[in-house]
Amino acid sequence: MRQLINALLKYKHTLLYLGLLIISLIFLNYRSFYHQSIFSKTALAISSNFNSINQNISNYWNLAEINEKLLLENKKLKALELEAFNRQSKQKFSLNPYEFEVFTAKIIKNSYNEARNYLIIDKGYKDGIEVEMGVISSDGIVGIVNQVTSDFSSILSILHRDLKINAGFKKNGAYGSLFWQGNHPKKMKLLDVSTLNQVVVGDTIVTGGMSDYFPYGIPIGKVIGFEKPELEGYYDIDIELFSNLTQKEFVYVVKNKKIDQLKQLDNE
Amino acid sequence: MNSDNLISILRFIFLLLLQSFLLSNINFFGFINPNLYLLFIIVYRLDCNPSVLIILGFLLGLLLDLLTQGSGGHTVATLTISFLRPYIAKFSFGINYKMPTAMLHRSFLSQRLLYLSLIIFFHHLILYSLIYFSFDNILTILKNTFFTSFFTFILVFFSMKLFKEKND
Repeated sequence: MRQLINALLKYKHTLLYLGLLIISLIFLNYRSFYHQSIFSKTALAISSNFNSINQNISNYWNLAEINEKLLLENKKLKALELEAFNRQSKQKFSLNPYEFEVFTAKIIKNSYNEARNYLIIDKGYKDGIEVEMGVISSDGIVGIVNQVTSDFSSILSILHRDLKINAGFKKNGAYGSLFWQGNHPKKMKLLDVSTLNQVVVGDTIVTGGMSDYFPYGIPIGKVIGFEKPELEGYYDIDIELFSNLTQKEFVYVVKNKKIDQLKQLDNE
Repeated sequence: MNSDNLISILRFIFLLLLQSFLLSNINFFGFINPNLYLLFIIVYRLDCNPSVLIILGFLLGLLLDLLTQGSGGHTVATLTISFLRPYIAKFSFGINYKMPTAMLHRSFLSQRLLYLSLIIFFHHLILYSLIYFSFDNILTILKNTFFTSFFTFILVFFSMKLFKEKND
Protein backbone atom coordinates (compact mmCIF):
# COMPACT_ATOMS: atom_id res chain seq x y z
CA MET A 1 0.00 0.00 0.00
CA ARG A 2 2.78 2.36 1.00
CA GLN A 3 4.61 1.54 -2.22
CA LEU A 4 1.50 2.29 -4.22
CA ILE A 5 1.12 5.68 -2.55
CA ASN A 6 4.79 6.40 -3.13
CA ALA A 7 4.47 5.52 -6.80
CA LEU A 8 1.40 7.75 -7.07
CA LEU A 9 3.27 10.63 -5.43
CA LYS A 10 6.24 10.14 -7.71
CA TYR A 11 4.12 10.43 -10.83
CA LYS A 12 1.63 12.98 -9.51
CA HIS A 13 2.43 15.56 -12.20
CA THR A 14 2.00 13.03 -14.97
CA LEU A 15 -1.22 11.75 -13.41
CA LEU A 16 -2.55 15.29 -13.06
CA TYR A 17 -1.66 15.93 -16.70
CA LEU A 18 -3.38 12.76 -17.89
CA GLY A 19 -6.46 13.54 -15.81
CA LEU A 20 -6.75 17.05 -17.24
CA LEU A 21 -6.00 15.71 -20.73
CA ILE A 22 -8.97 13.37 -20.48
CA ILE A 23 -11.16 16.27 -19.32
CA SER A 24 -10.03 18.39 -22.25
CA LEU A 25 -10.63 15.56 -24.71
CA ILE A 26 -14.16 15.24 -23.33
CA PHE A 27 -14.49 19.00 -23.79
CA LEU A 28 -13.23 18.65 -27.37
CA ASN A 29 -15.66 15.81 -28.00
CA TYR A 30 -18.49 17.94 -26.65
CA ARG A 31 -17.60 21.04 -28.70
CA SER A 32 -16.87 19.67 -32.18
CA PHE A 33 -18.90 17.34 -34.38
CA TYR A 34 -15.82 16.41 -36.36
CA HIS A 35 -13.81 15.19 -33.38
CA GLN A 36 -16.89 13.57 -31.93
CA SER A 37 -17.39 11.56 -35.09
CA ILE A 38 -13.76 10.43 -35.15
CA PHE A 39 -13.82 9.41 -31.50
CA SER A 40 -17.07 7.54 -31.86
CA LYS A 41 -15.82 5.85 -35.04
CA THR A 42 -12.76 4.56 -33.18
CA ALA A 43 -14.82 3.44 -30.21
CA LEU A 44 -17.28 1.77 -32.55
CA ALA A 45 -14.55 -0.08 -34.42
CA ILE A 46 -13.17 -1.50 -31.17
CA SER A 47 -16.47 -2.42 -29.61
CA SER A 48 -18.01 -3.83 -32.76
CA ASN A 49 -15.20 -6.35 -33.15
CA PHE A 50 -15.84 -7.66 -29.66
CA ASN A 51 -19.57 -7.59 -30.05
CA SER A 52 -19.84 -9.27 -33.42
CA ILE A 53 -18.73 -12.67 -32.11
CA ASN A 54 -21.15 -12.44 -29.26
CA GLN A 55 -23.91 -11.30 -31.58
CA ASN A 56 -23.38 -14.12 -34.06
CA ILE A 57 -23.95 -16.76 -31.40
CA SER A 58 -27.05 -15.18 -29.93
CA ASN A 59 -28.51 -14.45 -33.37
CA TYR A 60 -28.48 -18.10 -34.30
CA TRP A 61 -30.67 -19.03 -31.35
CA ASN A 62 -33.15 -16.24 -32.07
CA LEU A 63 -33.73 -16.90 -35.78
CA ALA A 64 -37.36 -17.94 -35.41
CA GLU A 65 -38.27 -14.86 -33.45
CA ILE A 66 -36.43 -12.63 -35.92
CA ASN A 67 -38.32 -14.10 -38.83
CA GLU A 68 -41.59 -13.24 -37.23
CA LYS A 69 -40.46 -9.68 -36.52
CA LEU A 70 -39.35 -9.22 -40.11
CA LEU A 71 -42.72 -10.31 -41.39
CA LEU A 72 -44.44 -7.74 -39.22
CA GLU A 73 -42.04 -5.05 -40.34
CA ASN A 74 -42.53 -5.90 -44.00
CA LYS A 75 -46.24 -5.47 -43.58
CA LYS A 76 -45.80 -2.07 -42.01
CA LEU A 77 -43.34 -0.95 -44.71
CA LYS A 78 -45.71 -2.00 -47.45
CA ALA A 79 -48.44 0.12 -45.91
CA LEU A 80 -46.06 3.09 -45.69
CA GLU A 81 -44.94 2.62 -49.27
CA LEU A 82 -48.50 2.75 -50.54
CA GLU A 83 -49.26 5.80 -48.48
CA ALA A 84 -46.14 7.60 -49.76
CA PHE A 85 -46.97 6.73 -53.34
CA ASN A 86 -50.47 8.14 -52.95
CA ARG A 87 -49.16 11.33 -51.46
CA GLN A 88 -46.56 11.79 -54.15
CA SER A 89 -49.04 11.50 -56.98
CA LYS A 90 -51.26 14.05 -55.29
CA GLN A 91 -48.43 16.47 -54.69
CA LYS A 92 -47.68 16.88 -58.37
CA PHE A 93 -50.77 18.98 -58.79
CA SER A 94 -50.26 21.13 -55.75
CA LEU A 95 -48.88 24.58 -56.48
CA ASN A 96 -47.03 25.20 -53.22
CA PRO A 97 -45.74 21.99 -51.76
CA TYR A 98 -43.27 23.77 -49.47
CA GLU A 99 -44.34 25.18 -46.18
CA PHE A 100 -41.57 27.52 -45.12
CA GLU A 101 -41.75 30.49 -42.81
CA VAL A 102 -39.15 33.25 -43.24
CA PHE A 103 -37.50 35.53 -40.65
CA THR A 104 -35.00 38.29 -41.43
CA ALA A 105 -31.88 38.87 -39.35
CA LYS A 106 -28.70 40.91 -39.32
CA ILE A 107 -25.25 39.34 -39.05
CA ILE A 108 -23.21 40.66 -36.13
CA LYS A 109 -20.22 38.35 -36.34
CA ASN A 110 -18.97 36.44 -39.34
CA SER A 111 -15.89 34.24 -39.59
CA TYR A 112 -14.66 32.74 -42.85
CA ASN A 113 -10.98 31.95 -42.54
CA GLU A 114 -10.94 29.04 -40.15
CA ALA A 115 -11.55 25.37 -40.70
CA ARG A 116 -14.92 25.59 -38.96
CA ASN A 117 -16.67 28.90 -39.37
CA TYR A 118 -19.57 30.39 -37.43
CA LEU A 119 -21.85 33.39 -37.75
CA ILE A 120 -23.85 35.16 -35.09
CA ILE A 121 -27.13 36.94 -35.87
CA ASP A 122 -29.22 39.36 -33.83
CA LYS A 123 -32.36 37.23 -33.55
CA GLY A 124 -32.97 34.60 -30.89
CA TYR A 125 -35.78 32.42 -29.58
CA LYS A 126 -37.73 35.53 -28.60
CA ASP A 127 -38.10 36.18 -32.34
CA GLY A 128 -39.02 32.59 -33.11
CA ILE A 129 -35.63 31.23 -34.18
CA GLU A 130 -35.06 27.59 -33.34
CA VAL A 131 -32.14 25.22 -33.57
CA GLU A 132 -31.62 23.50 -36.97
CA MET A 133 -33.40 26.10 -39.07
CA GLY A 134 -31.82 26.86 -42.43
CA VAL A 135 -30.26 30.27 -43.13
CA ILE A 136 -30.21 31.74 -46.65
CA SER A 137 -29.26 35.06 -48.18
CA SER A 138 -30.48 36.92 -51.22
CA ASP A 139 -28.16 34.97 -53.53
CA GLY A 140 -27.47 31.63 -51.90
CA ILE A 141 -27.42 29.61 -48.71
CA VAL A 142 -25.50 30.63 -45.60
CA GLY A 143 -25.76 27.84 -43.02
CA ILE A 144 -27.79 26.13 -40.33
CA VAL A 145 -28.76 27.50 -36.89
CA ASN A 146 -26.68 25.79 -34.23
CA GLN A 147 -27.41 27.46 -30.89
CA VAL A 148 -30.07 29.92 -29.77
CA THR A 149 -30.19 32.33 -26.86
CA SER A 150 -33.00 34.77 -26.13
CA ASP A 151 -31.65 37.50 -28.43
CA PHE A 152 -28.92 35.90 -30.53
CA SER A 153 -28.27 32.74 -32.51
CA SER A 154 -25.10 31.16 -33.75
CA ILE A 155 -25.02 29.61 -37.20
CA LEU A 156 -22.82 26.88 -38.61
CA SER A 157 -21.60 28.46 -41.82
CA ILE A 158 -21.58 26.34 -44.98
CA LEU A 159 -17.86 27.15 -44.82
CA HIS A 160 -17.57 24.49 -42.11
CA ARG A 161 -15.60 21.35 -42.77
CA ASP A 162 -18.07 19.04 -41.02
CA LEU A 163 -21.23 20.23 -42.72
CA LYS A 164 -22.63 18.43 -45.76
CA ILE A 165 -25.57 19.80 -47.67
CA ASN A 166 -27.81 18.04 -50.16
CA ALA A 167 -27.55 19.88 -53.48
CA GLY A 168 -28.27 19.08 -57.10
CA PHE A 169 -28.28 20.25 -60.71
CA LYS A 170 -30.94 22.69 -61.73
CA LYS A 171 -31.29 21.18 -65.21
CA ASN A 172 -31.98 17.56 -64.34
CA GLY A 173 -32.18 17.22 -60.56
CA ALA A 174 -29.19 14.90 -60.24
CA TYR A 175 -28.05 15.36 -56.65
CA GLY A 176 -24.98 14.90 -54.48
CA SER A 177 -23.57 16.28 -51.27
CA LEU A 178 -21.94 19.68 -51.13
CA PHE A 179 -19.14 20.43 -48.70
CA TRP A 180 -16.31 22.86 -48.06
CA GLN A 181 -12.70 21.74 -48.07
CA GLY A 182 -11.45 24.62 -46.00
CA ASN A 183 -9.41 26.49 -48.59
CA HIS A 184 -11.21 29.33 -50.30
CA PRO A 185 -14.43 31.01 -49.15
CA LYS A 186 -15.99 30.85 -52.65
CA LYS A 187 -15.04 27.31 -53.69
CA MET A 188 -16.83 24.14 -52.63
CA LYS A 189 -16.95 20.51 -53.72
CA LEU A 190 -19.95 18.51 -54.90
CA LEU A 191 -19.45 14.78 -54.49
CA ASP A 192 -21.54 11.63 -54.92
CA VAL A 193 -23.07 12.68 -58.25
CA SER A 194 -23.47 9.58 -60.38
CA THR A 195 -21.57 9.55 -63.70
CA LEU A 196 -24.81 8.50 -65.37
CA ASN A 197 -25.62 12.21 -65.50
CA GLN A 198 -24.04 14.65 -67.95
CA VAL A 199 -22.06 17.49 -66.36
CA VAL A 200 -20.99 20.63 -68.22
CA VAL A 201 -18.88 23.52 -66.91
CA GLY A 202 -21.22 26.39 -66.10
CA ASP A 203 -24.16 24.25 -64.90
CA THR A 204 -26.14 25.81 -62.06
CA ILE A 205 -26.28 24.04 -58.70
CA VAL A 206 -29.34 24.46 -56.47
CA THR A 207 -30.36 23.10 -53.07
CA GLY A 208 -31.74 19.59 -53.29
CA GLY A 209 -35.17 18.50 -52.15
CA MET A 210 -33.77 15.94 -49.75
CA SER A 211 -32.61 18.54 -47.25
CA ASP A 212 -34.92 19.17 -44.29
CA TYR A 213 -33.48 22.63 -43.75
CA PHE A 214 -33.70 24.42 -47.09
CA PRO A 215 -36.50 24.79 -49.63
CA TYR A 216 -35.83 23.09 -52.95
CA GLY A 217 -34.26 25.11 -55.74
CA ILE A 218 -32.28 27.91 -54.10
CA PRO A 219 -29.35 28.68 -56.42
CA ILE A 220 -25.97 28.00 -54.79
CA GLY A 221 -23.29 28.22 -57.45
CA LYS A 222 -22.00 27.05 -60.77
CA VAL A 223 -19.69 24.25 -61.94
CA ILE A 224 -16.17 25.48 -62.70
CA GLY A 225 -14.49 22.14 -63.21
CA PHE A 226 -15.01 18.43 -62.70
CA GLU A 227 -13.19 15.13 -62.80
CA LYS A 228 -14.75 12.01 -64.19
CA PRO A 229 -13.12 8.87 -62.81
CA GLU A 230 -12.64 6.00 -65.22
CA LEU A 231 -13.79 3.23 -62.94
CA GLU A 232 -15.76 4.60 -60.03
CA GLY A 233 -19.26 5.86 -60.61
CA TYR A 234 -19.12 9.33 -59.06
CA TYR A 235 -17.94 12.74 -60.24
CA ASP A 236 -15.68 15.04 -58.27
CA ILE A 237 -17.05 18.51 -59.08
CA ASP A 238 -15.65 21.95 -58.18
CA ILE A 239 -18.26 24.61 -57.49
CA GLU A 240 -17.95 28.37 -57.31
CA LEU A 241 -20.52 29.98 -55.03
CA PHE A 242 -22.70 32.80 -56.33
CA SER A 243 -22.73 34.53 -52.98
CA ASN A 244 -19.72 36.05 -51.32
CA LEU A 245 -19.97 34.95 -47.70
CA THR A 246 -17.23 37.32 -46.64
CA GLN A 247 -19.37 40.39 -47.18
CA LYS A 248 -22.87 39.51 -46.04
CA GLU A 249 -24.96 41.74 -43.85
CA PHE A 250 -28.55 40.50 -43.84
CA VAL A 251 -29.81 36.93 -43.97
CA TYR A 252 -33.13 35.12 -43.93
CA VAL A 253 -33.83 32.29 -41.52
CA VAL A 254 -36.26 29.76 -42.97
CA LYS A 255 -38.36 27.46 -40.83
CA ASN A 256 -39.64 24.24 -42.28
CA LYS A 257 -43.09 24.04 -40.69
CA LYS A 258 -43.31 20.33 -41.29
CA ILE A 259 -39.89 19.38 -39.95
CA ASP A 260 -41.44 17.65 -36.93
CA GLN A 261 -43.36 15.32 -39.17
CA LEU A 262 -40.31 14.66 -41.33
CA LYS A 263 -38.22 13.87 -38.26
CA GLN A 264 -40.90 11.59 -36.92
CA LEU A 265 -40.88 9.67 -40.19
CA ASP A 266 -37.11 9.46 -40.10
CA ASN A 267 -37.17 7.99 -36.63
CA GLU A 268 -39.79 5.38 -37.37
CA MET B 1 6.12 36.32 -3.25
CA ASN B 2 2.68 37.88 -2.92
CA SER B 3 3.32 40.63 -5.42
CA ASP B 4 4.78 37.94 -7.70
CA ASN B 5 1.48 36.06 -7.60
CA LEU B 6 -0.47 39.23 -8.18
CA ILE B 7 1.64 40.04 -11.24
CA SER B 8 1.07 36.52 -12.54
CA ILE B 9 -2.70 36.80 -12.10
CA LEU B 10 -2.78 40.20 -13.82
CA ARG B 11 -0.60 38.87 -16.64
CA PHE B 12 -2.89 35.83 -17.00
CA ILE B 13 -6.00 38.00 -17.36
CA PHE B 14 -4.35 40.58 -19.57
CA LEU B 15 -2.90 38.02 -22.00
CA LEU B 16 -6.18 36.06 -22.07
CA LEU B 17 -8.23 39.15 -22.97
CA LEU B 18 -5.63 40.45 -25.42
CA GLN B 19 -5.51 37.07 -27.17
CA SER B 20 -9.24 36.45 -27.38
CA PHE B 21 -10.39 39.91 -28.38
CA LEU B 22 -7.50 41.24 -30.44
CA LEU B 23 -4.84 38.75 -31.53
CA SER B 24 -7.21 35.94 -32.52
CA ASN B 25 -8.89 38.30 -34.97
CA ILE B 26 -5.81 39.54 -36.82
CA ASN B 27 -5.90 37.05 -39.71
CA PHE B 28 -2.61 38.23 -41.15
CA PHE B 29 -2.32 36.85 -44.75
CA GLY B 30 -5.72 35.32 -44.13
CA PHE B 31 -4.75 32.68 -41.58
CA ILE B 32 -2.00 33.84 -39.23
CA ASN B 33 -3.13 34.64 -35.69
CA PRO B 34 -0.10 34.91 -33.39
CA ASN B 35 -0.67 33.22 -30.04
CA LEU B 36 0.97 35.66 -27.68
CA TYR B 37 -0.76 34.09 -24.67
CA LEU B 38 2.04 31.48 -24.66
CA LEU B 39 4.14 34.22 -23.07
CA PHE B 40 2.41 33.36 -19.80
CA ILE B 41 3.64 29.77 -19.90
CA ILE B 42 7.09 30.86 -21.09
CA VAL B 43 7.86 33.45 -18.43
CA TYR B 44 6.07 31.75 -15.51
CA ARG B 45 8.54 31.02 -12.70
CA LEU B 46 10.85 28.22 -13.78
CA ASP B 47 11.26 27.09 -10.17
CA CYS B 48 7.52 26.72 -9.61
CA ASN B 49 5.56 23.60 -8.70
CA PRO B 50 4.86 21.76 -12.00
CA SER B 51 1.31 20.87 -10.91
CA VAL B 52 0.40 24.53 -10.50
CA LEU B 53 1.66 25.27 -14.01
CA ILE B 54 -0.30 22.33 -15.46
CA ILE B 55 -3.51 23.56 -13.85
CA LEU B 56 -2.86 27.16 -14.96
CA GLY B 57 -2.14 26.00 -18.51
CA PHE B 58 -5.34 24.01 -18.58
CA LEU B 59 -7.37 26.99 -17.32
CA LEU B 60 -5.74 29.36 -19.80
CA GLY B 61 -6.52 27.11 -22.77
CA LEU B 62 -10.04 26.33 -21.58
CA LEU B 63 -10.96 29.98 -21.03
CA LEU B 64 -9.46 30.93 -24.38
CA ASP B 65 -11.45 28.22 -26.15
CA LEU B 66 -14.64 29.35 -24.45
CA LEU B 67 -14.03 33.01 -25.32
CA THR B 68 -13.09 32.43 -28.95
CA GLN B 69 -15.62 29.65 -29.61
CA GLY B 70 -12.74 27.30 -30.36
CA SER B 71 -13.23 23.57 -30.58
CA GLY B 72 -10.92 22.65 -27.69
CA GLY B 73 -7.57 22.58 -29.46
CA HIS B 74 -6.12 25.39 -27.34
CA THR B 75 -6.99 23.52 -24.15
CA VAL B 76 -5.13 20.35 -25.10
CA ALA B 77 -2.19 22.21 -26.65
CA THR B 78 -1.67 24.60 -23.73
CA LEU B 79 -2.13 21.82 -21.18
CA THR B 80 0.41 19.62 -22.94
CA ILE B 81 2.96 22.38 -23.36
CA SER B 82 2.73 23.33 -19.67
CA PHE B 83 3.28 19.66 -18.80
CA LEU B 84 6.27 19.50 -21.15
CA ARG B 85 7.80 22.83 -20.10
CA PRO B 86 10.11 21.45 -17.35
CA TYR B 87 11.54 18.93 -19.84
CA ILE B 88 12.02 21.58 -22.53
CA ALA B 89 13.65 23.92 -19.99
CA LYS B 90 15.96 21.14 -18.84
CA PHE B 91 16.88 20.39 -22.43
CA SER B 92 17.56 24.06 -23.28
CA PHE B 93 19.18 25.40 -20.09
CA GLY B 94 20.89 22.28 -18.83
CA ILE B 95 20.68 20.71 -15.40
CA ASN B 96 20.35 23.98 -13.44
CA TYR B 97 17.20 25.05 -15.19
CA LYS B 98 15.23 25.74 -12.00
CA MET B 99 16.02 29.41 -11.74
CA PRO B 100 13.81 32.42 -11.04
CA THR B 101 12.32 34.14 -14.08
CA ALA B 102 14.66 37.13 -13.80
CA MET B 103 17.52 34.80 -14.61
CA LEU B 104 15.87 33.99 -17.89
CA HIS B 105 17.18 37.25 -19.29
CA ARG B 106 20.74 36.55 -18.19
CA SER B 107 21.04 33.14 -19.84
CA PHE B 108 22.78 32.68 -23.17
CA LEU B 109 20.88 34.01 -26.14
CA SER B 110 21.15 30.67 -27.95
CA GLN B 111 19.65 28.82 -24.95
CA ARG B 112 16.82 31.31 -24.72
CA LEU B 113 16.08 31.06 -28.44
CA LEU B 114 16.05 27.26 -28.24
CA TYR B 115 13.69 27.32 -25.27
CA LEU B 116 11.31 29.77 -26.96
CA SER B 117 11.25 28.06 -30.31
CA LEU B 118 10.76 24.56 -28.86
CA ILE B 119 7.79 25.65 -26.74
CA ILE B 120 6.21 27.68 -29.52
CA PHE B 121 6.75 25.04 -32.22
CA PHE B 122 5.40 22.12 -30.20
CA HIS B 123 2.43 24.16 -29.04
CA HIS B 124 1.40 25.03 -32.59
CA LEU B 125 2.06 21.54 -33.88
CA ILE B 126 -0.29 20.07 -31.26
CA LEU B 127 -2.81 22.86 -31.74
CA TYR B 128 -3.15 22.50 -35.51
CA SER B 129 -2.94 18.70 -35.45
CA LEU B 130 -5.93 18.72 -33.11
CA ILE B 131 -7.88 21.32 -35.05
CA TYR B 132 -7.55 19.50 -38.38
CA PHE B 133 -7.20 15.99 -36.86
CA SER B 134 -6.64 14.05 -40.06
CA PHE B 135 -3.62 12.84 -42.03
CA ASP B 136 -5.04 14.23 -45.27
CA ASN B 137 -4.43 17.76 -44.02
CA ILE B 138 -0.82 17.23 -42.99
CA LEU B 139 0.39 19.97 -45.37
CA THR B 140 -2.11 22.51 -44.07
CA ILE B 141 -1.12 21.59 -40.52
CA LEU B 142 2.59 22.07 -41.23
CA LYS B 143 2.02 25.30 -43.15
CA ASN B 144 -0.07 26.79 -40.34
CA THR B 145 2.39 25.55 -37.72
CA PHE B 146 5.43 27.09 -39.36
CA PHE B 147 3.97 30.46 -40.25
CA THR B 148 2.07 31.00 -37.02
CA SER B 149 5.06 29.82 -34.96
CA PHE B 150 7.26 32.30 -36.76
CA PHE B 151 5.02 35.28 -36.04
CA THR B 152 4.32 34.17 -32.48
CA PHE B 153 8.04 33.81 -31.94
CA ILE B 154 8.70 37.37 -33.08
CA LEU B 155 5.92 38.77 -30.89
CA VAL B 156 6.97 36.77 -27.83
CA PHE B 157 10.62 37.68 -28.27
CA PHE B 158 9.95 41.41 -28.43
CA SER B 159 7.37 41.28 -25.63
CA MET B 160 10.02 39.65 -23.42
CA LYS B 161 12.39 42.52 -24.23
CA LEU B 162 9.68 44.96 -23.17
CA PHE B 163 9.04 43.12 -19.90
CA LYS B 164 12.72 43.09 -19.19
CA GLU B 165 13.12 46.80 -19.67
CA LYS B 166 10.23 47.43 -17.33
CA ASN B 167 11.83 45.24 -14.66
CA ASP B 168 15.22 46.92 -14.81
